[in-house]
Amino acid sequence: MDVPAPSSERQSATIWVTALAAFWLASAVGGLYITWAYENGPGVAATAGPQWPGDTSLIAANDRPTLVFLAHPQCTCTSASLGELAEALARAKQLPKTYVVFLKPSSMPDGWEKTELWHAAESLPNATIVRDEDGREAERFGSVTSGTTLLYGANGSLLFNGGITASRGHAGDNAGRASIVDLLNHVSPVTTATNVFGCALFAAKKS
Amino acid sequence: MTTLAGSISHRADELFTEYQHDIHRRTDRLFAGLMGFQWLLGIAFSLWVAPLTWAGAESSTHPHVWAAVVLGGIVSIFPALLGWFRPGERSTRYIIAVAQMLMGALLIHLTGGRIETHFHVFGSLAFLAFYRDWKVLIPATIVVALDHMLRGMFWPQSVYGVLVASDWRWLEHAAWVVFEDLFLVVACLRSIAEMRQTAERTAALEHEVRTRQEAEQDARNANARNDAILDVALDCVVVVDAAGTIVQFNPAAEATFCYGSHEAIGRNVGDLLVPAAKRDAYRAALNHYLSAGAAMLNRRVEVVALRKGGAEFPVEVAIAPISTVGVPLFAGYLRDITERKRAEEELARQTRDLQDAHDTERHNAAQLASLVEELRITQRQAETATRAKSEFLASMSHELRTPLNAIILYSELLQEEANDQQAAGSIPDLQRIQSSGKHLLDLINGILDLSKIEAGKMALELEHFDVRGMLDEVTDTVGTLVQKNHNTFTVRCSDDAGTMYGDLTKTRQILLNLLSNAGKFTSNGAVSVDVRRAANGGGPCIEFSVTDTGVGMTVEQCRRVFEPFTQADVTTTRKYGGTGLGLAIVSRFCELMGGTIALESRPGEGSRFVVQLPVEMIDTSASVYSPAGITNRIPEP
Repeated sequence: MDVPAPSSERQSATIWVTALAAFWLASAVGGLYITWAYENGPGVAATAGPQWPGDTSLIAANDRPTLVFLAHPQCTCTSASLGELAEALARAKQLPKTYVVFLKPSSMPDGWEKTELWHAAESLPNATIVRDEDGREAERFGSVTSGTTLLYGANGSLLFNGGITASRGHAGDNAGRASIVDLLNHVSPVTTATNVFGCALFAAKKS
Repeated sequence: MTTLAGSISHRADELFTEYQHDIHRRTDRLFAGLMGFQWLLGIAFSLWVAPLTWAGAESSTHPHVWAAVVLGGIVSIFPALLGWFRPGERSTRYIIAVAQMLMGALLIHLTGGRIETHFHVFGSLAFLAFYRDWKVLIPATIVVALDHMLRGMFWPQSVYGVLVASDWRWLEHAAWVVFEDLFLVVACLRSIAEMRQTAERTAALEHEVRTRQEAEQDARNANARNDAILDVALDCVVVVDAAGTIVQFNPAAEATFCYGSHEAIGRNVGDLLVPAAKRDAYRAALNHYLSAGAAMLNRRVEVVALRKGGAEFPVEVAIAPISTVGVPLFAGYLRDITERKRAEEELARQTRDLQDAHDTERHNAAQLASLVEELRITQRQAETATRAKSEFLASMSHELRTPLNAIILYSELLQEEANDQQAAGSIPDLQRIQSSGKHLLDLINGILDLSKIEAGKMALELEHFDVRGMLDEVTDTVGTLVQKNHNTFTVRCSDDAGTMYGDLTKTRQILLNLLSNAGKFTSNGAVSVDVRRAANGGGPCIEFSVTDTGVGMTVEQCRRVFEPFTQADVTTTRKYGGTGLGLAIVSRFCELMGGTIALESRPGEGSRFVVQLPVEMIDTSASVYSPAGITNRIPEP
């Protein structure tokens, strides 16, 4: 039962509530749209060359694929990507040689990079955790966005370049992870390039 | 019955609506709190999961935090305010339903799209079912469906995890939500049905309680009325049960039996209020009633009761059974009749006394009748004797006056002869003979007049005469006598005296007697006569006032002065002479002529005689003399 009230007051209240509800709904939907747009807005893709970079200190495997995962240790979105990487490795019939490269700006104190992501990466099978001083390795691989995943074949050719989450920090099935699994299982991938969702590895240069 | 059922049904509808409204209000308030909680939870979660976003070594607040604060606030505050300030409104719960689903979407986003967070949607639907209004599930389901449809269209990866998804895949997600909705709708409908049953049971219970309360109130009112009646009843009211135990004892009973109700209630009435000698009879009567029905019920009987302290007193009692369910009760109405008994005894005694007095009175009446008869005989005898006496006196006077006149005449002749012969020595003796003869003649004349009056033979000779002329004659005749004792004699006659119709001789005789008495009993004083016209109760009259300053009379003398042969005292005759018949004749003449005579006198100060005679006399001489019309105005001594 609705609270009885004089009809004129009730009509006035109904009009106000309706107007406010419409404004409220528009605001909420608009806000959600902005949020979702941000969530699904990809970072800058890596500009890696078609071959294993020559100036990198990392050593590629020649008997199996080599996977390089470049990450910002403080980026929470990368947690989903790391989870997807673990999922992909778990589904691979042949484990690649895996490098998980964590950015370590020189301006930050030692241990700054030893985050939960670091410890999560340590549990990955056949994975080598690399501290990337000032992002030199990232630059060598042309990566500027955390979560960038690069898969090289045994011959050093670039097989995949992109992200392995569907959106920012969003775990779950996605095309990037599926392609990695396909490539490691010698199946033709759906795609060889996907959007990367994550924090920027480098601050914008001030002009 | 139809009206009653309709009333209960109407009340059930009211209760059902109240329940619904109460549930809506409570759930609105719960959601208001939940909205705030979810908002804060989202902020906390965003701060915990991703407080900062990084660009190399630089960090800033993560957009998720801003989304949690701003967007969470937008989504939460408005419905929370509605839930708090407009609870129970249909629009409030619909907006809350939409907001809850939007909040779910936001939380899913803030938690990085974790699949576990999708349970928020199902939890929210269950929570919305708290409203027990299945229609609320509709907007919530629509929001979920739209969310999936729109995101499936624009960002399928964020919803389905694939880059490309079917345009109808959102229906699959929506179908699962609807699947849950089906259970929730059933639950809502069942809950509403139960609520309806509860309302009907409550309405019926309320009716029963109200009916019972009204009955109890009626019973209380009846008890209050009965108590009030018993409290003010003048008769004692003692209620007992079948065992004779007192269960009620009103104030009149307290006052009469000198027991407080707290002392009496619970006691056996036979032990408490019935004298020891009467208890067996009382118990037998009670048992008789219980076994065979009423013997003394509804009848008033007089019995003896026992007061506190042992005093016995008579009471009138009526016993009536009280119609109650269960144990039979009897109400005894008792009235102390001690005073009535005493009054009855007093009345009986007075009746006896009255009867005795009545007998005595009858006896006295008989005696009185006998006396009256004797008196009547005596009176007749007296009247006969008086007439005989009067006749005797009249004849005797006549017989006496003849020789007496001869004696007086011859004594005068002898005196003349003695003077002629100058035999002075015999003259005094002859004068004494003449004087004694005249005195004796006066006496006989008076007796004769009185006898005539009393014998009813004194006749009036009525004529018109001039009052002043008659007065002059009288004063001329008596003037010498009055002035003989060195008295002043004053005669006053008013101008309006005029004439009167009466007996001139007797009027003149009245004045002569009064003036001669005044002159006789006054020495060196004053005698006056006043005549004027006056009025009394019988009409116009002539008033003659004879006043002297003589010896006067005492009260006792005044009382007797109009009786025959009576003078002031025995020395009066010796000193002043006279026959003692003058005033008696005056008074009888006045009475005979329809007039009055009054007397005022004080010893040593004088006397005043006032005679009033009617101006127009009526002949009443034929009537029998009755000594009335004489007034002695005797001053207080």
